[in-house]
Amino acid sequence: MAGHCGARAMAAPLRQRAAAGARGVCSAAAQRPWKLFGAMCLLRLPRITQPLEKVEEEMAALMEQIELEKSHYSDHEIRKLEEEEQLKKKKESLYDEDEARGKTVIMAQDLEEKWEQKFLQFKAAPRITDADKNNDRTSLNRKLDSNLMLLVKQKIGNQELWLLPQVEWQPGETLRSTAERAMATFLGDHIQAKVLGNAPYGIYKYKFPRAIRTENNVGAKVFFFKAFLQSSDLSQAGLKADHLWVTKKELGDYLKSEYLKKVNRFLLDL
Amino acid sequence: MYPSMLDLRDIAQWRGGLVSHGDTEDKQLTGRGDPCNLLLPYPKRSLGQRSLLSHLLWEEERAATARENRLCAAGDALLGCHRSYRSRPTHGIGKFKYLLPKEVPKKRKEKVQMKEIDAGTEHQYGDINIQMTSYDLCLVEHFAQYVHRLCNRLSIRVNESYAMPTKTNEVLFMEERGSKMQLDAVLTTHQRVVQIRGLSSTFAPILLEIIQSSQPEGVHLLMKQHTEADFKSRLKSRPELEELLAEMS
Repeated sequence: MAGHCGARAMAAPLRQRAAAGARGVCSAAAQRPWKLFGAMCLLRLPRITQPLEKVEEEMAALMEQIELEKSHYSDHEIRKLEEEEQLKKKKESLYDEDEARGKTVIMAQDLEEKWEQKFLQFKAAPRITDADKNNDRTSLNRKLDSNLMLLVKQKIGNQELWLLPQVEWQPGETLRSTAERAMATFLGDHIQAKVLGNAPYGIYKYKFPRAIRTENNVGAKVFFFKAFLQSSDLSQAGLKADHLWVTKKELGDYLKSEYLKKVNRFLLDL
Repeated sequence: MYPSMLDLRDIAQWRGGLVSHGDTEDKQLTGRGDPCNLLLPYPKRSLGQRSLLSHLLWEEERAATARENRLCAAGDALLGCHRSYRSRPTHGIGKFKYLLPKEVPKKRKEKVQMKEIDAGTEHQYGDINIQMTSYDLCLVEHFAQYVHRLCNRLSIRVNESYAMPTKTNEVLFMEERGSKMQLDAVLTTHQRVVQIRGLSSTFAPILLEIIQSSQPEGVHLLMKQHTEADFKSRLKSRPELEELLAEMS
């Protein structure tokens, strides 16, 4: 929740800043010394729920027991009880009544047994997949219960860094379309992703090292956008550079500390 | 001039000349636009007498008003003023409405449809419906409650939070192994709707993310804008009324 509050507080001043930046640059492109980049944080939503903690499990068991004791009998259970009583009566009394009726009644007990057999035949998919066991970070099947983010290796200046995919902003397009373009360049055109909103989620600005810095080129600002991955099938996409799908906790292994700080501010990990 | 000469109050015709209080008859006589009460039905007298009397009238009037002023200026609110204040024992003596049985005004069907259009720089959504459907009743109800409380906490205005009627589906299995068997299963689908207003477009994706990440298993989530069709789907159609209307027109 702290991340969310941070993002919310950021979104309001950011909106103004982004608007000011866009307006400013449209009028005079040469004056602004900052280079603008649009980056996309592509999230794969969790497929299964996280396992309950110990307290939650105990609480759930307790509540179930209480509800069971407080609840009334359902139709099926009433039918079962009645049939059991009838069976007892039949055993005690004579068998003439049975033959007189001549009906074949499906007993509730039989139904239950049938259902149990069916349930045993059903097999649930495993929660921990192969990718988890191999710790293969390039596959999407890993860690089904948490958010996975896309990280790409990009060359900036002289260094090769792990970053969220980013692309430089061209005058005349919105920052959101810049971010979408960034996603498309690294993952191919046919990506089914839903971009959340037109406002950026976070900003990271850095100054170039003194060697490269000129009057018109002080540094760069990176605007982050968020998107949800809709389809889980990425085989069609042409993955050009090295890519990784990592969780929030593993981000620290790859990103630089300053960058990581800004990115962490808008990441929700519920 | 001669205050003792004539006691003008005694003369019925001249009574209107003095500033009398709470006397409705006089008010009718004098007319409304007459603060000084000088326009009176004069009896027929000569000019001289008239002027004298008018002088006296004016004197008496001033005296009366002076007396009045003196009374009121003395600070005694009870004497001289006829309005009942709360401290007066007879305050509210004429009230009777509280004795009558309470009338509940007849409620007509409200067709309130208020939609906000995105305006200017700060974009706001109008009415948004968050619809949650599931087979499990407890789960969907608890989730609806969670969403409602979340919106309260984030100070988003919640218009209403209602339930749509449950739909019952019967699932029939047809197994043909010589003898046809039909296994029935009865599934009930429950739907809960939370209606929200005034969601700013900067905050909307954050809210969506929170709700999506806290979505339980087996619950379908749908966020859409409120339309008239949604409103009408809650109402039941009356076939008899429609038939009568068709017959009339």
